Amino acid sequence: MLECRNIQKHYGGVAALKGVNWKLLPGEVHALCGENGAGKSTLARILCGITAPDDGEILLEGHAVNWPGPQAARQAGLGIILQELDLFAHLSIAENLAIGNARLEDGAWVSPSALNDAAHPLLRSVGLELDPTLLLERLSVSQWQLVAIARVLGLDAKIIFMDEPTSALTDDAVERLFGLIRQLKERGVAIVYVSHKMNEIFRICDRVSVMRDGEMIATATCAATSIDQVIQQMVGRVIATTRREKLSGTGQTLLEAHEISTRKLRQVSFTLSRGEILGVAGLVGSGRSEVGRVLFGISPITDGTITLEGNLYEPYDPHDAVAQGIALVPEDRQKEGLIPGMSIRQNTTLASLPKYSRSSWISRAEEVAASTEALADCRTKFADQELPIRSLSGGNQQKVLIGKWLLTHPKICFFDDPTRGIDIGAKDDIYRLLAELAGKGLGIIWVSSELPELLANAHRILVLHEGRCLGILDAATATQEDIMRLATGHHAARS
Amino acid sequence: MIDKFWNQLKHHGQPFIGLVLILILGTLLSPRATDGTIVFLSPGNLTDVLLQQTEIGIIALAMTFVIIGAGIDLSVGSVLAFSACVSALMMMVWNPHGPTMLQIGVAISASLLGGALIGALNGLVITRIRLQPFVMTLAMMIGVRGFTKWLTGNVNVDLGFGAIPSGQFAELFSSKAFAISLWFILAIVAHLLLTRTVYGRYLRAIGENERAAAYTGLPVRGVRLAAYIGCGTLAALAGLIHAARSHQGNPNDGVGYELDAIAAVVIGGTALAGGRGSIVGTVTGTLVLGLLTNVLRLHMVDSNLELMIKAVIIIAAVWLQRRSTGVHGDL
Repeated sequence: MLECRNIQKHYGGVAALKGVNWKLLPGEVHALCGENGAGKSTLARILCGITAPDDGEILLEGHAVNWPGPQAARQAGLGIILQELDLFAHLSIAENLAIGNARLEDGAWVSPSALNDAAHPLLRSVGLELDPTLLLERLSVSQWQLVAIARVLGLDAKIIFMDEPTSALTDDAVERLFGLIRQLKERGVAIVYVSHKMNEIFRICDRVSVMRDGEMIATATCAATSIDQVIQQMVGRVIATTRREKLSGTGQTLLEAHEISTRKLRQVSFTLSRGEILGVAGLVGSGRSEVGRVLFGISPITDGTITLEGNLYEPYDPHDAVAQGIALVPEDRQKEGLIPGMSIRQNTTLASLPKYSRSSWISRAEEVAASTEALADCRTKFADQELPIRSLSGGNQQKVLIGKWLLTHPKICFFDDPTRGIDIGAKDDIYRLLAELAGKGLGIIWVSSELPELLANAHRILVLHEGRCLGILDAATATQEDIMRLATGHHAARS
Repeated sequence: MIDKFWNQLKHHGQPFIGLVLILILGTLLSPRATDGTIVFLSPGNLTDVLLQQTEIGIIALAMTFVIIGAGIDLSVGSVLAFSACVSALMMMVWNPHGPTMLQIGVAISASLLGGALIGALNGLVITRIRLQPFVMTLAMMIGVRGFTKWLTGNVNVDLGFGAIPSGQFAELFSSKAFAISLWFILAIVAHLLLTRTVYGRYLRAIGENERAAAYTGLPVRGVRLAAYIGCGTLAALAGLIHAARSHQGNPNDGVGYELDAIAAVVIGGTALAGGRGSIVGTVTGTLVLGLLTNVLRLHMVDSNLELMIKAVIIIAAVWLQRRSTGVHGDL
């Protein structure tokens, strides 16, 4: 169906793809996996005409093709759902669905009602019950992702690339996506599924190709390989996937939230002890990120009280929250975390800069010493801390953002889905790091979309549903099913 | 080794290339004096260029900060006229019967304070009410111009000569030594502030990704507010030099200065989108514009043509920088 031969791509002096050969068969779901920086996304972008290869050829149904741009690939029946969502925040859902869709964009005039009519079935197929005239900027990250999927469905593509489609989706949305993938497959659509998530790959895919360092390591049918083998091929080493030994909290209460309400939360109460990892689970839109926004002084509370070490805690803004010992690793690393043009060092020390300065004059030596230490503590892999942070892989960028907060010596750290879209090796490092931090007496609140990682690493798990706390479960005894039942609103289901 | 040197030059030397080119061009094209010396390179000519560029140069320093913080300040030209007129009025009309230095000092302080207040108003509205910097400072540009005209009754306030305070003020502020060294001292201070202090680091972080900076707990509003206050103050300082050099406070002066200052900043490699830029670049950009004008004027080139050539220079400079910093159209 689609084949590529000897594809090469260099960015600057770095080889992103080193002569990749690969084949996609008709009607198959083909997983493309590998750690971040392995070249999966680059390969997908080249095959879809978004990026031009330096060398090599692409064959579509046996004929050599040379995409001048993404439009040509789209017309030939290739759709792609990008990791960085290529949608327009200031346009409505219906308009976003129509862009680039020749069927809906026929002629110079578009009729809003026709667009909306066309949008309804697409939205329904991905399970979004939203008004198509809503502007995209009003939607959550997960809803964006679903709109992006709906858009590609509307293109009637023969081949669909999905680059980390579930990274922002909650479990129920993932299930719906898998249903969709099965339907598409029955219609003969071939799907390239770029992902890190082994469970998903082995549930939905027919074959799996593993990339590492710009090379295609192996392709096999899912039946002929195993999760452990694929992971080993990805990282080139063996990783344990079992539950971690957890240190128990000291029991001394650090933070107490008493019936707090905001625009998105309804009377949520919880406590956090020193040395405790409190997981937060919930579907997207359940208010799980809002908990962090409250603690960080971004969302004002309309009702209820928070006490920090026994004192009333009412942060005025993030600046104030940081001064009182709160840290927040945001959900959207690119938009809310990184200063992309600054170096690794500058990103690392940004939150604690006054510590390395005398009357606002930065001491270079102290700054370098501090960032070196923090980067080592977080097991960040980098060539030179003076390089721009965008030169790092997603996992290492995330470690820098965590290291940034270690330097402020916080009492409480809120992690908003810190392992989203990062590779397995880095995830494992982050789990270990969170456990270490808890061991040092920090209180950690950890939002995650992946229930197994919460169960394996957290002490207790707070489950939110539509802004309400439906339960706080003990991670040692709870199961994924227990959490999902609460997260979907079934109060009484837990016996 | 040579490769490394070349890379360093490509990264940091971009603005200098234009400067060197213009110096070479100026030397080659310069008319000769009767004794055969090159007019363009004579100390008198070069310091004239520096003095002419002092006002724009000082404004451009502050504008660099505002632009790195992802803002813009269009009100500087009006603030310059405001400061020139306020200082002239205070020295000519108001007579406190005190020592000369006191009167000059009060006039200068009032002008600078006025500029700082205008900057503060810009900054407060932009950071608190979150009006776009372009809109707020555009309104301020119009409003301050009107206020200045009203204050002076739309007539020029002439500074006198001799031993009176205004005469001494004009003599000091218009002297080459004073004005040019003031500019360069401010440039050095601005450079250190931007590259070596917490403030400079915060400003660049905020300019590049305001949300991430806020999520890091940086005092986003305060940092941006300070940039606007600095811009208003330095525009007022430029206004003092302007009053001294033109020997009057003219409420209609300074029109278009904001755009000249922005042009100097942009030629110097500072990104209008914020986050990236340097004072070295801005000073170089200011010099490039000044020398270019000088080269053309020495040849009596039509001033309309001069504007067209400037336009080409601005576009070429920014285009060259995009190429060297690796901003490509890659999706």
